[in-house]
Amino acid sequence: MKKEKKTPDLNRRDFLKLGGLASAGISLAGIAGAGLAAGKDTDSYTGWERYTHGDGQFFNRKPFEVDQAPTIKKVAESRRINAAEQLFYRLRIAMPFMRGIKPQSEMPKELVDFYKEHPNDVEDMKAAFKAGQEQRKNWEKYKDRYIIADAWSEAHSKSMRDFPKRPVGKPEESDFKNVNPDTVKFKSPKHASGLMKKIAHSFGATLVGFCKLNPDFVYQGRLRGVGTTKFDVPEHWKNCIVVASPHEWDGLYANPTYGTSYDAYARECVIAGKLEIFLRHLGYSARAHVPGNSYDLAVVPIAIEAGLGELGRNSVVITPELGSNARLAVVTTDLDLEPDKPIDIGVKEFCEKCKICADQCPSGSISFDNKPTKVIRGYKRWYTEDTRCFGVWNSVAASHARGCRICIAVCPYSRKNNWIHTIAREVDPRDPTGIFSSALLAMQKGLFEYPEKAEEYLPPPNGNNKTYHNAPDWLKTEEWCDVDIDW
Amino acid sequence: MFPHSTILGPLFWIIMGALFVFMFYGAKIWFEDLSIKMNKRKWILVFVFFLILYGSIGGGFTLIGENEHRAGYYFMGIGGVVSIILGVGIWRYLLSSRTK
Ligand code: SF4
Ligand code: SF4
Repeated sequence: MKKEKKTPDLNRRDFLKLGGLASAGISLAGIAGAGLAAGKDTDSYTGWERYTHGDGQFFNRKPFEVDQAPTIKKVAESRRINAAEQLFYRLRIAMPFMRGIKPQSEMPKELVDFYKEHPNDVEDMKAAFKAGQEQRKNWEKYKDRYIIADAWSEAHSKSMRDFPKRPVGKPEESDFKNVNPDTVKFKSPKHASGLMKKIAHSFGATLVGFCKLNPDFVYQGRLRGVGTTKFDVPEHWKNCIVVASPHEWDGLYANPTYGTSYDAYARECVIAGKLEIFLRHLGYSARAHVPGNSYDLAVVPIAIEAGLGELGRNSVVITPELGSNARLAVVTTDLDLEPDKPIDIGVKEFCEKCKICADQCPSGSISFDNKPTKVIRGYKRWYTEDTRCFGVWNSVAASHARGCRICIAVCPYSRKNNWIHTIAREVDPRDPTGIFSSALLAMQKGLFEYPEKAEEYLPPPNGNNKTYHNAPDWLKTEEWCDVDIDW
Repeated sequence: MFPHSTILGPLFWIIMGALFVFMFYGAKIWFEDLSIKMNKRKWILVFVFFLILYGSIGGGFTLIGENEHRAGYYFMGIGGVVSIILGVGIWRYLLSSRTK
């Protein structure tokens, strides 16, 4: 006999129907709560989350590997970077002339040549110095409001002064200091890369990549440990280990006044410094190139060649995991490593449409062009007017030129790691039509909040000390200290 | 919901899973009692509606959670309007296919 299919009786049916409705209501509330928690979750603070061991490098780069990085295309004969082309070195040597301490006639030739090529830079530099004097005068006015942020920044900044030890003497000597004469042999370059990736992550690196050193990206005219000199790229600078870490995310979004560059810089110093010691202990030469300004090479293009990301309109490396919020250090070594490949996740096309950083930059240093137009030392790429940018560092309400970082904070790629940004991160690079990125951009510009004018980030009279987002409580002096609030 | 709890987090999603099962089972009985004969295509439509509604609420609150309040409200607003239009449309379609 065919068994009759049992259907729930009336009461049971009513119960299930009402229960279903109630479940819908409760689960909707549950989703709202889960969403709120996902947004607040500190595990979404990539690079500052509780886990390590490389879990922050979660994006699968394999499908996006290319032989040539699309955002740094060599289009003409290339050359190395002259010391005077590097902002911080230029600042140091230009300062006495800008301040009138030394006569212009004594200006070194490299500086004269640079200013011939960049005539606007002289005025930008003078304006920056003047702004810096104002900034120091005004600090008294803003101290109460920003002193915790300033102390946080100082703690990071001072901690990176003595480590890693700066090179002394020629690289052929200093990079081999304390190198174990009993070199440990690796099974293969692949094994060496695998281990170095693990070790770098264990030292705190959020992202790690490797590449051969391209001599185009090595400075010329100045060498740490030696001084002003013309030099050939040392033979033992064969491979690069590139590491990246982010700024703390809440501080980053509260730029320019509450954030700092030094939190990420200090981490980079520790990581690269430890890698240097580790490599030498195994018998390989090593030289750490670290922030603020202890480099003999340009870290951004090297990070791109190592597959960490692509160059953004803001001249910063945009990585899949951290967006523009990635600070870099490089260790050059003679250890044979298996290089990573550059990637193409569509940053070039996105930046061509986006322009948010250019819109929000208080110094107007970022290009509004639809495509990169400048060829710099043989490479066609985006370009930022660095001295003009430095002028803003000297203008914002801080104790000294502590940076700005607005172009990093506002970049739509600089987002934490929660499910909603994961969808954007994973779908956009796989969409060949560009429709998804256009929709994302429309949402970004239409739904998200930005100050109306970039000048708002500056102190009065030009602006109102606006931050991109509100500062977190832990950086607000008024939350913890007895101060009179007059802001 | 409880991201740093090793017990409450998994428990929360187990309960949410049970609620979803309950909700869809309840919906099945509602449809039966309303003489709506469901098939695969109709269930897919219902599921899409479910995803958009829950995605809008979840997404909106995620953005609010990460201090993007304005974006969160807009996201829920736009998602909510889309859900209502879609919901009404799907509902009318389902009703029109009732067995007499
Ligand atoms: S740091 Fe500030 S001033 Fe400099 S380029 Fe970025 S947004 Fe502009
Ligand atoms: S803000 Fe936009 S244009 Fe600027 S770097 Fe980021 S994605 Fe590119």
